[in-house]
Amino acid sequence: MNNNEAKFLLCAYRPGGRDADDPAFAGALAQARQDPALGAWFAREQSFDTAMAAQLGSIAPPAGLREAILTGARVSRAPQAARRWPVWLALAASVALLLGVGAMWRMRSARQMDPLTAFILHDAQFEKHGGHGEAVSDLERVLENPTTRLASGLPVDFAKLRTTGCRTLSFAGHDVLEVCFGRGGSEFHIYMARSADFPQIASTTGPRIMKQDGWSAMQWADAQHVYVVASSADPAALRALL
Amino acid sequence: MSHEVFTQLVDAHYAPLYRFALSLAKNQADAGDLVQQTFFIWATKGHSLREADKAKSWLFTTLYREFLRGRRRDARLTSVEDLPPGEADLPAEEIDRVRRMDGALVLEALQEVDEVFRAPLTLFYLEDLSYVEIAEALEVPVGTVMSRLSRGKAQLRASLAKREAAGPAKVISFPDFKQQKQP
Repeated sequence: MNNNEAKFLLCAYRPGGRDADDPAFAGALAQARQDPALGAWFAREQSFDTAMAAQLGSIAPPAGLREAILTGARVSRAPQAARRWPVWLALAASVALLLGVGAMWRMRSARQMDPLTAFILHDAQFEKHGGHGEAVSDLERVLENPTTRLASGLPVDFAKLRTTGCRTLSFAGHDVLEVCFGRGGSEFHIYMARSADFPQIASTTGPRIMKQDGWSAMQWADAQHVYVVASSADPAALRALL
Repeated sequence: MSHEVFTQLVDAHYAPLYRFALSLAKNQADAGDLVQQTFFIWATKGHSLREADKAKSWLFTTLYREFLRGRRRDARLTSVEDLPPGEADLPAEEIDRVRRMDGALVLEALQEVDEVFRAPLTLFYLEDLSYVEIAEALEVPVGTVMSRLSRGKAQLRASLAKREAAGPAKVISFPDFKQQKQP
């Protein structure tokens, strides 16, 4: 093996000695120990690789990615769980569905729920909330005002909220803002995303309410934003916000 | 697969998978999508994989396949294979250069490397996979991985040197600007 062949092999030798036991490198490593020029080249190569690995390892995934993965997987498994329901439960669900037909509000089960709303319901129930900043406080005041009708348009400056302390989640690579507010003794969480990021939801007409595990989510959209309000309050309390 | 085991799998691998995806996709949104899509596929199909120690390679392979599926391969991918071998010698200042730069700049330099070299190079620097596992993940022969690492490093050094030569944008304040304009 000449030095060029040894270099070719040693290019694939990870810094930190993780490949020390790999016999494929034994010859090239031995040659690097015996040949000063090759040894010096290998030491520089390893230093470079160590520095590169450290720099790459310093890049942190965006906040919320882990939660989005876990929630997304849970949602994806939900239909499989539903298939294991006993027949009587499926029949009961069918009856319940029939009773719901004709209602003015469309109530969707977890199986029909879009992933964004499922993600939001999980976040509303299980994650820590919080935000700060003047823009958040201003929006909270508007939301808590009993005369504010949410569907008539909200003063949402998405970019300003995102950059001044509003709690921001990431779902499917897109920013979702969240603000908590109270009204009529109930607590609500409003989530806002750009309509352009969720065109399928933005294109649906009219508000809709979905329920899961005792929590409800109301979803609607305008030209700029998709909104979802989640709460453990009765669906009637959600409708009253509109 | 139980929720706990799946959570452990996510915790162990989502960060390196994201770094790999970011080097391929070149933007955070697409990288996040790729990682989510990879775990989504695992949740729906991968749980049938019996060998737990193969999960890591499976995840990297799946992410790479999803990336390739998501965009049309162009002719450049084949032409870059004909590049001459990289420089054999590595000046000491290049090591310092990497240490001086911040992670974002190094990532930008890495993203400039041709994709065919970038994928194995990123996996190499993530240090999670051996060259044999990289070959499995990218579905190429072991010798090809070694060749691409060698050539990829040469491209990376050139990219790092170019970035450092360009330097940070120089801001000239208004008074300084006026001073310079004076004869």
